Amino acid sequence: MKALILVGGFGTRLRPLTLSVPKPLVDFANKPMILHQIEALKEVGVTEVVLAINYQPEVMLNFLKDFESKLGIKITCSQETEPLGTAGPLALARDKLIDGSGDPFFVLNSDVISEYPFAELIRFHKSRGSEATIMVTKVEEPSKYGVVVVEEETGKVDRFVEKPRIFVGNKINAGIYLLNPSVLDRIELKPTSIEKEVFPKIAADGKLHAMVLPGFWMDIGQPKDYITGLRLYLEATRRRKPYKLAVGPHIVGNVLVHETAVIGEGCLIGPDVAIGPGCVVEDGVRLSRCTVMRAARIKKHSCISGSIIGWHSTVGQWARVENMTILGEDVHVCDEVYSNGGVVLPHKEIKSSILNPAIVM
Amino acid sequence: MGSSEERVVAVIMVGGPTKGTRFRPLSLNVPKPLFPLAGQPMVHHPILACRRIPNLVQVYLIGFYEEREFALYVSAISNELRIPVRYLREDKPHGSAGGLYNFRDYIMEDDPSHIVLLNCDVCSSFPLPDMLEAHKRYGGLGTLLVIKVSAESANQFGELVADSVTNELLHYTEKPETFVSDLINCGVYIFTPEIFTAIQGVFTQRKDTANMRRMNSFEALQSATKALPVDYVRLDQDILSPLAGKKQLYTYETLDFWEQIKTPGISLKCSALYLAQYRYTSPHLLASGDGTKSATIMGDVFIHPSAKAHPTAKIGPNVSISANARIGAGVRLISCIILDDVEIKENAVVIHSIVGWKSSIGKWSRVQAEGDYNAKLGITILGEAVAVEDEVVVVNSIVLPNKTLAVSFQDEIIL
Repeated sequence: MKALILVGGFGTRLRPLTLSVPKPLVDFANKPMILHQIEALKEVGVTEVVLAINYQPEVMLNFLKDFESKLGIKITCSQETEPLGTAGPLALARDKLIDGSGDPFFVLNSDVISEYPFAELIRFHKSRGSEATIMVTKVEEPSKYGVVVVEEETGKVDRFVEKPRIFVGNKINAGIYLLNPSVLDRIELKPTSIEKEVFPKIAADGKLHAMVLPGFWMDIGQPKDYITGLRLYLEATRRRKPYKLAVGPHIVGNVLVHETAVIGEGCLIGPDVAIGPGCVVEDGVRLSRCTVMRAARIKKHSCISGSIIGWHSTVGQWARVENMTILGEDVHVCDEVYSNGGVVLPHKEIKSSILNPAIVM
Repeated sequence: MGSSEERVVAVIMVGGPTKGTRFRPLSLNVPKPLFPLAGQPMVHHPILACRRIPNLVQVYLIGFYEEREFALYVSAISNELRIPVRYLREDKPHGSAGGLYNFRDYIMEDDPSHIVLLNCDVCSSFPLPDMLEAHKRYGGLGTLLVIKVSAESANQFGELVADSVTNELLHYTEKPETFVSDLINCGVYIFTPEIFTAIQGVFTQRKDTANMRRMNSFEALQSATKALPVDYVRLDQDILSPLAGKKQLYTYETLDFWEQIKTPGISLKCSALYLAQYRYTSPHLLASGDGTKSATIMGDVFIHPSAKAHPTAKIGPNVSISANARIGAGVRLISCIILDDVEIKENAVVIHSIVGWKSSIGKWSRVQAEGDYNAKLGITILGEAVAVEDEVVVVNSIVLPNKTLAVSFQDEIIL
């Protein structure tokens, strides 16, 4: 089977992290975001993944070479030379997606994390005789998104409503699709929206179905949702693979610590923390609801919550970092500094406190 | 004419990428020395100034950027000026004087009688031929270009005291806490090759101090020089300060403009200064027009030959438009830098701003700022490929590359 992952553009909402690497390579729970998806696809029998990209192909291609051999799955790129919307990239990658076997192929939005129940999706798709199946997820505030109005018993999609002003349903498009090759015949190679132009036609033919996504779902394309997403991910890990989480007297709640990270004495770590490869957390450090990326160093007695610490950064002794502080790559927060929501671009040193959320360029 | 043995080599320090975070977001796309002021890359202005020195044989650019970032520029300018210009990459920081010393073999290759040293991020009229004559009269090891500034701002620079008769440099101190003098160091120097001996003296002195004094461990921790490797030599603290008052260093005062180009806001100010200078040095570079066949031009304006401006547009004062930009009908531009491939649609207004490469400004939209060159958000800056949609207003803001603005903003940094 094949899969297409829509990687798309510049990832500006995840700046400053995306100033250093393209968004799919930003680490989430100690792994590049896109790797979570690729591994889940491999598990369900996908043999080739096509990445639809339009930005920094060289960086992506280097990454692919590393992972192709490690994972034993073929990874190729399909590069847009002009923006093709949400459906156009499928037409562009047509030759890679159709192999004559008639098997359906997956299409994923690269920002989405979930438990990726792909095997169930395949069963659902086949049992309904669907031409296209989209996964939907229930949300609290549907009007922030595009709502998918679904017929309860059959799972048939009735229609899509973008940001509805009155309540029409609480299921939104989760950005995970399973499509028959015939869908490609409905898409021209030009900027096209899959929700506005392609799916409505399939729905009109009665061949578009929706499956409710079991488990958690998050679009981690921006920092606030990234942090919430980590909590959901770690909760799911606690349920399914609890042996992956850290244990010990210094651990509270769900915490993921890479095997090459080092944690000192007298720390209190958690809940909802991910500590990446090669990180050093010195004595007496308090970490909660945060991500510490590869090779970062957290110095003694400091306290970090609700924040993201970028690759190779350092947080000084007795520093306090909280409230959606995002440190880009190679940022150094000096001893005793307080950051309340500072968003700091790469290669900076923070010598004085940031008392209110601010961007440091 | 001077001795027939006179040969001058110019060295321009261009700095490096991680040192230039103050020039963001523009430095996210282009090395600061190549950012255009008045239509020419920043480093072009000191190079042109060096060219006015008789007997100039070579120009070196020294910095930390990758060679390939300067390769095209260096080859183009060598051809254009018929003077060899070469970029030398420092492998590690040596300090401002250490960097010069590191490449002494290249610099001395042409056996120069004089070496001109400039910092690339200085905006000045660079009166080098007169300064060189003065240097020869003084007969010292080096001559510094100096300028009087306001007493309040003097402490951001190197303050110095000079003898009003002999112009000898009597005292030099870098960024002092208390007031020393309103005369400051412009970052433009002329040296004789003896400067290398002086720098070498600093190495030897450092090594000797390290060897001779037996410091106890507490002193060793305190020692300021412990943090500096032996070959890290700063021009200000290690050469100028110690040599002041010893009849080796002299000063040449300029009464023209002078700025340090640290931020994008200041680069807009410097672009205006250079445009004003063109009126005297290269008036053919300035645009003219009265709205009949070409756009109405007010004040000093540079428009690249490949850029197009509609005749109903009104441009200036202090506007610089780069290659392939397109200025639509009824557009008003005041005090701004419009970079390559920008499209400005009908009736838009841009004031006190810098519009990045390939950006597009929608119809009737307004991109402006208060125009305080020193304030953090005093000049509006749009990074590369920013799209401002029709009728949107962007005031006192900085926008990083590849953003589309569909709603108006004020006083914001948009990542």
